[in-house]
Amino acid sequence: MKIRPDLKTMIDPYSGHEYVVIPPIIPDVAIIHATKGDRFGGVTTLSMRNDRLLARAAKKTVAVIEELLEPDEVLPGHSEVYVAPVHIDAVVHAPRGAHPTGCPGKYDVDGAHINAYMTAAKDEKSFRQYLDTYIYGPKDHNDYLKKVGLGAYGK
Amino acid sequence: MENKAIDPAVRMIVAISKILKNGEWVATGTLSPIPVAGCLLAKHTHAPDITSIFFGDPADRMADGLFELFGLVQKGKIDVFFLSGAQIDQQGNINLICIGDYERPKVRLPGGAASNMLYAMSGRTILFTTTHTKNLFVQQADFVNATAYDGAVTTPWRRGGLSHVVTPLCIMKFDTQIKKIVLDSVFPGISVDTVAENTGFDLGIGKRTIPTVEPVHEEELRILREVVAKEMRNIYPLFTEKLWG
Repeated sequence: MKIRPDLKTMIDPYSGHEYVVIPPIIPDVAIIHATKGDRFGGVTTLSMRNDRLLARAAKKTVAVIEELLEPDEVLPGHSEVYVAPVHIDAVVHAPRGAHPTGCPGKYDVDGAHINAYMTAAKDEKSFRQYLDTYIYGPKDHNDYLKKVGLGAYGK
Repeated sequence: MENKAIDPAVRMIVAISKILKNGEWVATGTLSPIPVAGCLLAKHTHAPDITSIFFGDPADRMADGLFELFGLVQKGKIDVFFLSGAQIDQQGNINLICIGDYERPKVRLPGGAASNMLYAMSGRTILFTTTHTKNLFVQQADFVNATAYDGAVTTPWRRGGLSHVVTPLCIMKFDTQIKKIVLDSVFPGISVDTVAENTGFDLGIGKRTIPTVEPVHEEELRILREVVAKEMRNIYPLFTEKLWG
């Protein structure tokens, strides 16, 4: 409360305890990473990431999917949940789309790349160079994957 | 040619389909086969871009059930919702709680089931009933659990309210000026007098001539039989079988 004087408190009318009350977060756009998806927006995501809650809260949601399948094939696997098309506004098919972070069950975090990013982010000039090489430079997602030394699947 | 053999439910389905507009997000709750059929018919005729969410439809794959559907309504995603009531009064109030005195009810009804939130937070609400009697359409409901508009008490979260009432006899509309339900049109073969005799409140006709709804087209019947029936069977098997075998 000392560093967030904007927050307010309320008395729980049932218990009489005082609680800090946080207003709901309503993102304009949520971008979630999905393991599987179809072109109508039905997707599966990792349950621990609360992506369905995020999609339900946001005004618009974009799902980046690893694998594009027919609707009947989009079934939640172990530790996955299904997010219905009504919650998704756009689907982007981008295998390895979570790079340089990982997608559990599909591929691991690219630690070397993240280290390179951290080094580059230390000063303006090398950061600019990083952006030019990996963000502005590649003509599309596949080109990006080539630049970072990956195929769509498998290093 | 007047198609007298048409089931009143089919007339209602066709009427509901015509009230829905292309591009709208339409949702239905429990026990709503007529709205589901109306929505599917609209999708296969003038409104292919309707997004529909039918509670209980396995195809929707709503993992959190009503919680997920209610969330969509609260978020403002749903343009049209359908409700009904054991009593509907002139102001569009609905009663799903009890008939008679609350303490000593004649009939204890299933309960509101979020209908007040849905009535207030959907873009607009269409009421539908499977009968049309004086016991249903009453001057004042014995218990009001959901209101059609903001009266003396305002609900800051209100987004919409009552637009139409579709019954086996007629289509009524909510007049937002006088905040009352008024008669809009009658189904073929039904007279305005018949509607008046079976309604417990004044229909606000005044000097208006009440038109008769256009007869159901052969093409609409074909789509219902061949396309809509197939899509509905998983959601409302008994209703589908009763109407289309």
